[in-house]
Amino acid sequence: MSHNKPAIAVHKFSSCDGCQLALLNLGESLLTLSSMVDILHFAEAGPVDENAKVDIAIIEGSISTTDDIERINRIRDNSTLVMTIGACATAGGLQALRNMADTQQWIADIYANPAVIKSLEKSTAIKKHIKVDLELWGCPVSKREIVNAIRALLFGVLPEEKNEKICMECKRQQNMCVMVTKNEPCMGPVTRTGCGALCPSVGRDCYGCYGPAENPNTQAMANRLEGLGLIKDEVARRFLFINNGAEAFHRQGMHSRETE
Amino acid sequence: MSTDTIKINVPVLARVEGEGALDLTIENRQITDLKLRIYEPPRYFEKFLEGRNYYDVPDTVARICGICPVAYQMSASRAIESIFGITVTPWIRAMRRVFYCGEWLQSHSLHIHLLAAPDFLGYNSVIEMSAQYGDEVRRGLKLQALGNELIALFGARSVHPVGVKIGGFSRAPDQSKVDELLPRITAAKQDAVDLIHWLETLELPDDKQDFVSVALHHDDEYPLNEGRLISDSGLDIPISEFENHFKETHVNHSTALHCLFDGKPYLVGPLARLNLNADQLPEEVKAVMQSLKTRFPSKNMFHSIIARAIEIHFALVEAERLLSSYQPTEEPCMSFEAKAGTGYGCTEAPRGFLWHRYDMDENGCVSKAVIVPPTSQNQPRIEQDLKDSLISFGLDNEKHDLQLHAEKVIRNYDPCISCATHFLNLKLMRDGVVENAERTQAITTFKNIDLNRAAIIGIGSPNAGDKLGWRMVDLLLQNNTMASLQQQGLSLLKLDRPGIALAEHIKRYDHVLIIDAMESGNATASFVSIDASQLPSSTSQISSHEVGVIESAALLASLQQLPEQLVIIGIADCSNENMKKIVSMYL
Repeated sequence: MSHNKPAIAVHKFSSCDGCQLALLNLGESLLTLSSMVDILHFAEAGPVDENAKVDIAIIEGSISTTDDIERINRIRDNSTLVMTIGACATAGGLQALRNMADTQQWIADIYANPAVIKSLEKSTAIKKHIKVDLELWGCPVSKREIVNAIRALLFGVLPEEKNEKICMECKRQQNMCVMVTKNEPCMGPVTRTGCGALCPSVGRDCYGCYGPAENPNTQAMANRLEGLGLIKDEVARRFLFINNGAEAFHRQGMHSRETE
Repeated sequence: MSTDTIKINVPVLARVEGEGALDLTIENRQITDLKLRIYEPPRYFEKFLEGRNYYDVPDTVARICGICPVAYQMSASRAIESIFGITVTPWIRAMRRVFYCGEWLQSHSLHIHLLAAPDFLGYNSVIEMSAQYGDEVRRGLKLQALGNELIALFGARSVHPVGVKIGGFSRAPDQSKVDELLPRITAAKQDAVDLIHWLETLELPDDKQDFVSVALHHDDEYPLNEGRLISDSGLDIPISEFENHFKETHVNHSTALHCLFDGKPYLVGPLARLNLNADQLPEEVKAVMQSLKTRFPSKNMFHSIIARAIEIHFALVEAERLLSSYQPTEEPCMSFEAKAGTGYGCTEAPRGFLWHRYDMDENGCVSKAVIVPPTSQNQPRIEQDLKDSLISFGLDNEKHDLQLHAEKVIRNYDPCISCATHFLNLKLMRDGVVENAERTQAITTFKNIDLNRAAIIGIGSPNAGDKLGWRMVDLLLQNNTMASLQQQGLSLLKLDRPGIALAEHIKRYDHVLIIDAMESGNATASFVSIDASQLPSSTSQISSHEVGVIESAALLASLQQLPEQLVIIGIADCSNENMKKIVSMYL
């Protein structure tokens, strides 16, 4: 398949659609982007060609049904590069909380006729199923990050991975530390940057929606949270939240919960 | 071919094949079955909430929908605050309205410009539309962006904003930010008025229907965060009595629960709100409405798009009013103590009211949550509307037009964005036979198969006009793709009216593509395809004097002797276009 311009597809799996909004909210830049690339599949913006062969496939959402598995493999076959956007695609999302629960019981609690509900036991990240070339974290992914990534790829280079801690960004913004000054259970010390340190900038605790930073010292974080007066179960819930499927957070959350 | 039975199966959600679809069966020019299937994979949010502390709730429920996180945060906050006995200050109340106006502005603008307008103007996407309607698209994107900025003013970002707490906001916005935004809000009001007038120039179908509108109502204002639930059928209840009148049920064809009002479908959303609350609008908005030829209350669902634009104007007028005397506060959040109890929250999300109930324990943790989103409320109404509007549109219309019309009807409800996207498939069943039209995604393809076990068979007869199948095989033989497939073992055959002997001819193959001439009597398509696995296992329509390909295939199906894949393609002409379709769809 030949294209004059690089071809892009945006696929959705189990998600809230919020990360695709990072693209739909680009405004004028969306029109600019559409002049630089061929957007062959982006159901929420119009073009539908699910099986298009593309240079970059952008994936939102987690894998949670058997159909999803078949579809993500098809996308891998059709795409030169696969980029996941957001916590669902990259770490399984908030809905990965079901991985620790009795899903069948939950279905029975919600639906009158559980037999017709098709759903895998687990909600998992894309990389558990196929090779992923590039991951953008965040719930939701930020406009700036996605534009940077696409721009870098159009130049033919992989974007620089920003995985330092929120604290670094927060200091650069000269925010008052909410943990030190207000005893807020801020997850900034273990959470990756990218959002722009939004929560501390409005005076509240980071809740880890961008996932684990590089080398996060999660045990020290857990100790500190306990020092702030959180019981172990609350500490566990700090880690087992938006990015509960991310390895470092999952491990620490389960550890805090089990040692209760 | 008789036209007794027509089945249209339209996967609605472009995102996943089979996850969302419209199943429509027409018999004797009557709709005998209509189901809007939604198979969004269940995400169990009500269950995640159990055991979570109140302070996690706003950040959790936001994740239910990236398009209307503010609505989820507001309904949840109001419900939990009612349990804790919190009454917010006038400042918090007013700023929550502004915050919510941002979401209406953002969501309505997105819907009108990216989803609905391209439909009405005949474009596949806003990107295509922008070539011809650049100014209108830019105006829409500008309104959308302004809505996002209003949300971010309080929440730091527009998707899953982080500023909301039980009891108020984390921080009051800086005066300087409000001063910067306010003149732009004022200026955008004219854009909204222009938008409303522009939408009136669209050719909206005149399709009046009988339905019940339900919305929040507040004596002093247009409803956003609070009020009683009222309907145009006489309902007037506090939100805590919702469950006495509205029941959620699970229908097998959807993972979204269906909600009924006294056992019947009902409408929520902009049109319902405007039908019930036009008197509560500010004078400035009323004056614009007076200048329109569209009158409200309206029973024409296609007026939803106008209602949405009027609400854009309202959101700007209201945000301007509430911010014009803005001063930051020292107390952006109430102090409180968590208590046990049950509480209700109901606010007007862009697509309709969003009802929450929480049972909290004495530690301030959720013991049970019930969330009724607008789309599950509108779903039975959409099904009812489709029945009525497709009948008044005309069931004899060609399938492509039926499909487009169904899309427009569904879009009036602005069901959560993914549902509102373009249809992926159109399957049409006549005489128990599934016909696929152009935009079809073939379920059965001949990709990645053992070509030694695959055949393409053209069927025809020496009679004049019945050689299309043969000629198509000839045409395919000239195709480059075909040459390489043949080298890999693919067989191409021509058969003369094999009748039930077809079974003999195809038993050597696992994958068979049959090309036959199609009588185009009533068929408007020049190309249909039928997946034999979808044929009913028995059919009473086998004619006595001739056993055609379909009948043979149906017979094989009922004998469970079908090959792994058997696709029958009917062509009305032997055009290059049809040849290309066959190659692109199946090979």
